Amino acid sequence: MTRIGFGLVVCVLMILVGLLLVPMDAGAKTVYIGGTMSLTGPYAEDSAAILAAFQDYVKYVNETKRMAPWRKETWPADITVELLWRDDELKPAKALSIYEELKAKGMLVYRISGSPIALALKDRLKQDGFGATSMATGPYLLTPPGTIFTYYPIYTDDLAAVADWYKAKWKESRKPRVAYLTSDNAMGRSIEIPEMEAYLKKEGYDFAGTQYVPLIPTSPPTTQLMWLKEKGVDLAFGIMVNPGSQPTVKEMVRLGMGPYQPYKMTFACGTPSHLPVFAAAMGTLGDGFVVAGGFPPWDELVPGVKFMTEAQKKYHPDKWAAHSQYMGGMLEAMIQLEAIRLAMEKTPLEKLKPADVLQNGFYKIANLDTGGISSTPITYGPAKIEGVDAVRVDQLQKGKVVKQGVYPCRHLYKH
Amino acid sequence: MGRGTFQENYGQDMAIFRTKQEWGTLLAFLILLFICPLFLGDRVLTIMTMIGIAAISVLGLNILTGYCGQISIGHVGFMAVGAYTSAILTATLGWPFLAALPAAGLAAGLAGLLFGLPSLKIRGFYLIMATIAAHFIIIWSVLQFRGLTGGPDGMPVPKPQIGFLVFNSKASYYYLVMVIACLAAYGAVNITRTRAGRAFVAIRDNDLAAEVMGVNLWTYKLQAFFIGCVYAGVAGSLLVHYYGFASVDEFPFMDSVWYLGMLIVGGMGSIAGAILGAVSLKLLDELVTIMGPVLSAAVAAQAAASLALVTRGLVIILFLIFEPRGLAHLWRIIEAYYRLWPFSREEAE
Repeated sequence: MTRIGFGLVVCVLMILVGLLLVPMDAGAKTVYIGGTMSLTGPYAEDSAAILAAFQDYVKYVNETKRMAPWRKETWPADITVELLWRDDELKPAKALSIYEELKAKGMLVYRISGSPIALALKDRLKQDGFGATSMATGPYLLTPPGTIFTYYPIYTDDLAAVADWYKAKWKESRKPRVAYLTSDNAMGRSIEIPEMEAYLKKEGYDFAGTQYVPLIPTSPPTTQLMWLKEKGVDLAFGIMVNPGSQPTVKEMVRLGMGPYQPYKMTFACGTPSHLPVFAAAMGTLGDGFVVAGGFPPWDELVPGVKFMTEAQKKYHPDKWAAHSQYMGGMLEAMIQLEAIRLAMEKTPLEKLKPADVLQNGFYKIANLDTGGISSTPITYGPAKIEGVDAVRVDQLQKGKVVKQGVYPCRHLYKH
Repeated sequence: MGRGTFQENYGQDMAIFRTKQEWGTLLAFLILLFICPLFLGDRVLTIMTMIGIAAISVLGLNILTGYCGQISIGHVGFMAVGAYTSAILTATLGWPFLAALPAAGLAAGLAGLLFGLPSLKIRGFYLIMATIAAHFIIIWSVLQFRGLTGGPDGMPVPKPQIGFLVFNSKASYYYLVMVIACLAAYGAVNITRTRAGRAFVAIRDNDLAAEVMGVNLWTYKLQAFFIGCVYAGVAGSLLVHYYGFASVDEFPFMDSVWYLGMLIVGGMGSIAGAILGAVSLKLLDELVTIMGPVLSAAVAAQAAASLALVTRGLVIILFLIFEPRGLAHLWRIIEAYYRLWPFSREEAE
């Protein structure tokens, strides 16, 4: 009988799942934002911060009916904003069913949690006419441009900005030697395009080659770093998340490599390495590390940072989300709701379809003032999915994030 | 099989379906399976399509691991071989899907033969390590042949087309997957009834005894690898055609472990077990995905989301402890209990 009881429990559970799969009708005056999150896996920390920002922004809009403190546009008083999210574990198969579930629930916009999800959903989103914001921003979003929009530069533009910044500082008569030291996954390898190498050569760099580091290294990347040393590399750059860039820089310091170490070499990453997070974890040990395309530090005096600080103090004073991707999440929430707001100017909410939000919302976003959270105000269009036109470059100096400047997006990737 | 039905000859003993009741159940199941798109939404169809693809792959793993006892944790790597073969043949060379699908199975099968060679010398833990290596070698190769596979950027894959039929809607793809899954299950059942199938079981139970009895280990172990990987290749091909995109990120190593988990939960060495395992773990996945945001009201969102990983692991452990022969065995017990009802009840009391 115990086994029969066990069997019945299994049957009941399977029926329960079946019932949960039946879609519920969306409320008449409710708008959903959000989408898929990767709360488990390599982007867990980033996604948790993004989720916190989405939650805070939804509360702010529902309470104040404003889009942001520095903006005059308001949100309709009779429409409630709700957040819908699911954890996809960064698995395309799971993201697919989540997408269908949230679409059935009446979502008009979507979000992408990482490169694997972007690759799996890109064509489907375009086919369904769904506009989506994305935490991942590789060249694959441009082949050809779909309906996934980013709010920080694509990785190759990040690195072009670093190249511009480094070249301006270069004093020696010889050519600076450059190499890629990048994550061994779709995100990290997406910088290996001929246009990037051609740009580096045009800028007067000598290209040495590429070394890969696992997305989350399980051992220090000593051999890769020794290779850079042997090749006489002056500037190494790549795309890594913080769990990759932090141990890499630690090992660099141990091997005496860095701008303030015996072997002079600068290491730069594009966002999603986050310098404020890196600074908090590494302190002065990580001095000299450069990040391009990042968000402002929490002490920068811009309206966006002030708004986010106040929102966190108000909605969860005892649980401060210090991760920079909180800013990314806030941007995504703002963009998603702005797209819906713009679309509602043309079509009433009751008749609104995802394709309307794409055509009359996302594509109509022009110079969206983000209060200084993004490098520049955000503009989208059918072939313009990159959002920003400039890249912010920051360097860690004496344990603090120091802004080095803002460089134009080179739009290297030709699609 | 109902009460009072006895096997009177070998033919009856070997038959998959014998009684009218069994044929009726099969027919009802097939009708239900094929009318599903008429009343189910896109989401459920997507889940069922993914279950179908997983079931094909697990059926292959079941032949290799469940029947022949050759533990493979590189199964997803072989799916990748099939996936990229199909993607290259259809997208780059313009082959029709009907030709690309068997080619994908064949390519994965050949890869299985290659990586199955060590199984002749090693077994157990060492074979597990060899199959893990197979996964990483395959993924590394896909990344290196950038011109052919698109490397880390992946490559777009066209929707399958058979004659004038284009499988570009969720319902049509569901039908495609379910037809192939049914054929795969039928094929797997028949394989287990052949000389090879019996040899697989003999090797699994005691390879030394099997060899002494005249079973050629060399031939049959490689056959098991080939057949298991053909299934994986077909599943991989269906997966990338469904996504419309092939990328190495679609074939993570951990999925191989979960496929093995599906086999444990469903029941190793049972065709029904392979299917039940794929269905139950995929549904469990959906349950915990839905529960994550609900639970996040009480605990941190990350902790709630991690529930999926914990639950899956826990379910596998619980099955290993309480029902190591899986859901298929559990089903057989329930079936037997009610077949003899009410006498079984009295006996239990």
